[in-house]
Amino acid sequence: MSALELAQWIQSTGWASYLRMSAYIYPSVLASHLTGIALFAGAVLVTDLRLLGVAMRNQPVADVVNQLRWPKRIGFLIVATCGFLLASSKAEEYYYNTFFRIKLTLLVLVAVHALVFRGSVYNNAAALDQARRIPGKAKLAAALSLLLWISIACVGRGIGYIEPPLDKLHAELRDVAATAGTPK
Amino acid sequence: MLIAFENPLNESALAFPILECFHILGFALTLGTIALVDFRLLGFGLRQNAADLSKALAPWTLIGLITVLLSGPMLFSSDPDMYYLNLSFQIKMVLLVLALVFHYTIRRKLLRGELSPGLNKPVACISLLLWTSIIFAGIFIAFVVTPET
Repeated sequence: MSALELAQWIQSTGWASYLRMSAYIYPSVLASHLTGIALFAGAVLVTDLRLLGVAMRNQPVADVVNQLRWPKRIGFLIVATCGFLLASSKAEEYYYNTFFRIKLTLLVLVAVHALVFRGSVYNNAAALDQARRIPGKAKLAAALSLLLWISIACVGRGIGYIEPPLDKLHAELRDVAATAGTPK
Repeated sequence: MLIAFENPLNESALAFPILECFHILGFALTLGTIALVDFRLLGFGLRQNAADLSKALAPWTLIGLITVLLSGPMLFSSDPDMYYLNLSFQIKMVLLVLALVFHYTIRRKLLRGELSPGLNKPVACISLLLWTSIIFAGIFIAFVVTPET
């Protein structure tokens, strides 16, 4: 099964079709996606600003990093669940969307970031408190994390600005794409 | 009345989306930092004293608020008639005023210890609800039908 066929299959499932056709559920999921972004961003931002030595300097790095793990996880769960639902409802259209592809690539880079820095920085926060100054590697991890997430938010907004390629979409979905947002 | 087609923002196709990115990052900063304090009041997440935590995060909340309050009116100016008549926009503005007043009066008093700690959880819930509802109203601006201008 090619990626395009997978996208077409996901889009044809009942719940993806339902979401695409709904007048109020789709924007509600979108708003939840953005609420999740804010909750996730708060936890990521404060973690990274602490690592950079910019905010919460009177608190141990280990406390900030560890106590924000759950808010971060919950925020991410909301963003990812809603994001998956939104993407699946227009999967075939987004298959052709350049910003969507860039966003997926950036999300892969987030995974790479975790592989590179998790052990030495985020899971090693107690040792960072022992060091006289926060090591450069931890600051690099924080800066890259901020850069990645800010880019992902901006690229995500860009997805909505690319017109669906109506000539390439499945015939039965063309009408839907053409009337997207119109109540059924 | 503002005339949208004379607005320099409408000269560029990129101006609106770029402003929107600032608007999104700004409210993420605002709600994100406010939520961390509300979570603290609810007994979740950071365990630092709520008053100190609020003091440490207040400048970041303010930076977020300034960003949304600068980018918001600029977005509005691109098509003022549409926004003015849009029900979701009207609701959003009412909620925004309520949230700001609540944030800088009741919630601030609570965090200064001037109110009963029994109010911690209700205040945190109202704060989260108000700011979240602003996001919902903001998104629905694009999904409700605006009367013809």
